[in-house]
Amino acid sequence: MRKIFSIVMIMALMLFTSLAVVKTASAEELKMTGTITKIELAADGKSATAVLKDSKTGASVTITITDDLTLDKFKDKRIVEGDEIRTKYEKSGDVNTSKMFKKTAGC
Amino acid sequence: MTGKIAVIIVGCALFATAAQAKDHPGKEEILKDGYQGPKTCEACHPGKAKEFLGTVHWKHASKIDHVDNINPDEEHGMKDRIYTMCNGNDIVNNLKEVPPNALGKTKFTGCNTCHPGDHTSDVGSTGPQAEQAIDCLICHSSKYDFSKRKPVKDKDGKVVMTQDRSTEAAANIGRPTIKNCMVCHEAAGGGAMIKRGFSMTKEAEVHVTKGIICVDCHKVKNHKFPTGRDPNNWAHDGIYMTCTGECHSATPHTDADYNRHTAKIACQTCHIPKTGGAFSKDFTKWEKQSNGFYEPSTLKREVNETAPVYAWYNLTVKNTPQFIGPKGSRSDGKSKIYPFKIFQGKAYFNKKNGQLLSMDFAPPIANGDSLAGVASAAKILGIKDYEPVPGWQTIYFGSNHQVSPKNKALSCANCHALNGVLNFKELGYNSKEVEKLTNPELYFEKLLKLQQENE
Repeated sequence: MRKIFSIVMIMALMLFTSLAVVKTASAEELKMTGTITKIELAADGKSATAVLKDSKTGASVTITITDDLTLDKFKDKRIVEGDEIRTKYEKSGDVNTSKMFKKTAGC
Repeated sequence: MTGKIAVIIVGCALFATAAQAKDHPGKEEILKDGYQGPKTCEACHPGKAKEFLGTVHWKHASKIDHVDNINPDEEHGMKDRIYTMCNGNDIVNNLKEVPPNALGKTKFTGCNTCHPGDHTSDVGSTGPQAEQAIDCLICHSSKYDFSKRKPVKDKDGKVVMTQDRSTEAAANIGRPTIKNCMVCHEAAGGGAMIKRGFSMTKEAEVHVTKGIICVDCHKVKNHKFPTGRDPNNWAHDGIYMTCTGECHSATPHTDADYNRHTAKIACQTCHIPKTGGAFSKDFTKWEKQSNGFYEPSTLKREVNETAPVYAWYNLTVKNTPQFIGPKGSRSDGKSKIYPFKIFQGKAYFNKKNGQLLSMDFAPPIANGDSLAGVASAAKILGIKDYEPVPGWQTIYFGSNHQVSPKNKALSCANCHALNGVLNFKELGYNSKEVEKLTNPELYFEKLLKLQQENE
């Protein structure tokens, strides 16, 4: 009985540890500079996705944007396809959620 | 009294919002005949285009009489200033195409990118052509398509700035919104929130939370904008604004102790406890970006991430190659303590006369060669006798936006505790006075009572 209890406890501990590791990995914050190849605004206007071509690797990364300020810049085309962007985003599974999304150019 | 004023302000803001939502008179005509630029506006607003050409927004300059070492009979400003947040100006960094970088890429850049003309009629231009080149809609339209405003080369190879002159943009006009202003004012100095580091959002600025927009405080008269007294913002339209007057009284607090402070402490000192943006830049060292272009190396913080510095300010400005900032003292009878965003920039000085040199950004953007930028700027300005040596300049920017909610303003202990934000010794108080000013006797009972009320 005691042996079974010990095994259950060890398994529970392993499960908890692995979940904690997964959670840490899923909350990874990344940053990149890239050129926008596609912008898609959601029908309700409350979110958008932008596909960025990473300037370093050439890989395409899809970022989800939900902050009003950036969404407004998509709507009035202050940010358009072809613009170069500096972004910080949180990777959680397959979803990359923007934490910062700014044009690299100033004046 | 304060409550009454707040009700009036919110009322005005709501009225303004309602007025904004209502169609601008003449919409029918615009929809029928289309938009032909300023002459369409002038059908109802005659003389406004010419009037606008006389403002700082068009000239990027004015006569300046509050800054040291500036001839008060000449006009200066963004047009021709040299300092280390920008290290260039409209003249040396006139909108242009930069040379190809190592990847063969090129792009357009220039300090006058935000100028509301078409670049053919540029900063300070006058006459009928300039009047018709004004981009009225970039400030007045809520449906401006910014993808239509971009630098391009015309058929003669000259760089021009296109505009959105669509009927849709023209049919949706009114008082400038926060967005109309921030399109240009948030992007100055090399990117979003870099130069001044304030955000005009509901989250960051209590006036915006209450529905107040930029032009409710910067009450425009004949296209002339009242400004505050930022020691690094020199050109002006001849009208100034303060917190007190129409909106807030000189004794706006219910607490008499707080009201007593207003004689020597500016409103901003307690009500704008944080600043942000770039706090240091090095124009002698350009960093290569992943796109192959270079940018001046910059240390930056987010909005609301930096503590300001505090100094006496009598609204006149010390201006030397190494320092731009407030003049004033505890004893001059004119100064108050203000908060400032402090910035330090490194650039090249002319060893022959000690003056700060300017930089044309086109060469270093393409290849990182900052000395080539200095050489190009010297050529444009006709400076032949110079020897560039690197050095630092300190600048105090006014901290006049991003007013915090009342409960986040500085309170007694924020300044009068031993670890308070004000350095009384540096502000000119002697040891005995500092001891008195940092004695809990000053605030203990008051704060204890407040604490008990809140528990």
